[in-house]
Amino acid sequence: MLIHERMGEFAGLPVADFTENGMERNGEPLTAPPTGVAWRVRVDDEDEAVFGDVLGRFLETVDPATVTALVVGWWGYESPVGEPVTSLVGAADRLTALRSLFVGDVVVEEREISWIEQSDITPLPAAFPRLERLGVRGGEGSGQEPLRLRPFRSAHLRELRFESGGLPADVVRAVAASELPALEHLEMWLGMEHYGGDATVADLAPILTGERLPSLRHLGLQDSEIQDAIAEAVAQAPVVARLETLALSMGTLTDTGAEALLSGQPLIHLRSLDLHHHYLSDAMAARVRAALPGVKVDLSGALDPEHDTLWVAVSE
Amino acid sequence: MTFTVVGTPGDRRVTLFAAACTAAGLPPPEVAAWRDVLEGAEPSFRPGTLLRLDSPGEDAACDALLRGPGDPTRVGGGARWHATFTAALHRVASAARRDGAVPLNDADEIAVMFDKRRCHTRLQAAGVPVPPALDGPVHDYAHLRERLAEAGWSRVFVKPAHGSSASGVVALQFSRDRVKAVTSAAPAPGGGYRNSLRVRAYETEHEVAALVDALAPDGLHVEKWLPKAALDGRVLDLRVVVVAGVPTHAVVRTSRSPMTNLHLGGRRGDLAAVRAVLGEDRWQRALAVCAAAARSFPRSLMTGVDLLVGIGWRRFAVAEVNAFGDLLPGLPGLPGGPAEGLDTYAAQVRAALTRSPEACAS
Repeated sequence: MLIHERMGEFAGLPVADFTENGMERNGEPLTAPPTGVAWRVRVDDEDEAVFGDVLGRFLETVDPATVTALVVGWWGYESPVGEPVTSLVGAADRLTALRSLFVGDVVVEEREISWIEQSDITPLPAAFPRLERLGVRGGEGSGQEPLRLRPFRSAHLRELRFESGGLPADVVRAVAASELPALEHLEMWLGMEHYGGDATVADLAPILTGERLPSLRHLGLQDSEIQDAIAEAVAQAPVVARLETLALSMGTLTDTGAEALLSGQPLIHLRSLDLHHHYLSDAMAARVRAALPGVKVDLSGALDPEHDTLWVAVSE
Repeated sequence: MTFTVVGTPGDRRVTLFAAACTAAGLPPPEVAAWRDVLEGAEPSFRPGTLLRLDSPGEDAACDALLRGPGDPTRVGGGARWHATFTAALHRVASAARRDGAVPLNDADEIAVMFDKRRCHTRLQAAGVPVPPALDGPVHDYAHLRERLAEAGWSRVFVKPAHGSSASGVVALQFSRDRVKAVTSAAPAPGGGYRNSLRVRAYETEHEVAALVDALAPDGLHVEKWLPKAALDGRVLDLRVVVVAGVPTHAVVRTSRSPMTNLHLGGRRGDLAAVRAVLGEDRWQRALAVCAAAARSFPRSLMTGVDLLVGIGWRRFAVAEVNAFGDLLPGLPGLPGGPAEGLDTYAAQVRAALTRSPEACAS
């Protein structure tokens, strides 16, 4: 799966774009900033503009105190290392209403996911303590710095989402060690070791106990090449009892992992179980369905382990 | 009124054009074989015949005459191909003048369309939107890196100047310490590269350098990679056929890879869906861009314009203009236009008869 299209919506709001070429929505230029939108700030032509300047112009054009949701699109290799975090943190005192932030709405025609250069995002939750929703796309990156995160505390963060073809183990461990009492939705695309996704099941342990995640309702541990091992761990994980929805999709789940899930703790309390993009046999898929009546099980995107190389959905 | 085609007898293009003639109540066209012309035979034409220069097609004998002997699937040999083909075009054009044939396309214009550098320059000079391209020659990989560093570009398409069907085209990207080339060129067993039906990625500098160094001697055209619009998880571009100045046929080509060519896993996309996203104004603007590109080749009855749609669905750029870009069998013309219900060949037959005074007189 390649991410080809930019977000049309974020935090329940339609997305409008702000670039060095002005404002637009659905491809139509805007003359005045609309309200009730999530803003996507990005560089249109990375050879012509740098992110910091575009964000600066955005803050002059749109009243920053009205911005509740912000999406950062491509910032370009010409922007200094540390962007876009540096510029966002510099604008924190003006973006006082910001509650939802996504960093890296970059599509494959701009940069493949493993080429998105993230940096240390730890300053973001510190600079925006009222943030309720944080999402990041990218991982290892292709240059100086991979995506990094140190453990943090947030009383308000409800949703945390990492889209990556290779999520560094350091980031996974930092999430696991963070104090996130309000977190309801945690989603991590773990990716492949080749692309920097080197987390192990042991790194996930604090998440699976749920000790620091009392409000968790959705857990996604996805897009992993150790999906079977993750499924085995999830099958015994205390946190599962408090979940409403669980996603173990996009990875290399085979009958081994599914068998472990079925022989583990009951899952019938779940509203949905997302297993799309999997390598289950037809017989195992039928057993999963039969064992979970009343649970919406997504088994779409079946792949054949006999004929297909085991592959995660999002990698390069 | 008769038509004459210079092409490859039995080739699909010739057969489809003959069918269009027959359907219009005309006798089938006379066919002069490129192979004979390339072997040195002097072509001769009936006075007043409408003369269509078509592609040599996939004829291996023609390919050997044009590029020299060798594996027909090999990548490269474009410079020789172009020189030989251009010379042959001019011989045909002289014979046509001598015999009083009425050409439907033009040797010089075809030669320009088969040189991506000259085609780009001509379009740019005419104010047609095109992706920015490097000026001047690129000698090898090291030189390419140097030129790209000067330009500040990190994502480009490297195209053999005389290639077609994406042969040897490389989607190339750099970051501070990574490089990746996506192409259909595969290493050939005896050295060099050959066209494969699968795109592959080269991710070491050594491999990428070897590839570019192999392509460079035939001439390279290097364009900035403009991010393309996508629908349903597939990037897309448009092939728009322009006949007698009017965009008459359009197809959407979609792909998961940077190349949209159908033989490389590209698929026809849903034109109605594309038009719906664009809206009528922008759709008309897209067609106007194609018509403008075609106006740069006024002596060509037909051109096939490859139109890039930018990722925001707002910007258009012409990637290529194809002299023989009408091989879209069975595709009906755009509703409301002069080719409604006609395929690309029937549309050209009709347009040729309409615009040719001889046709009216006979």
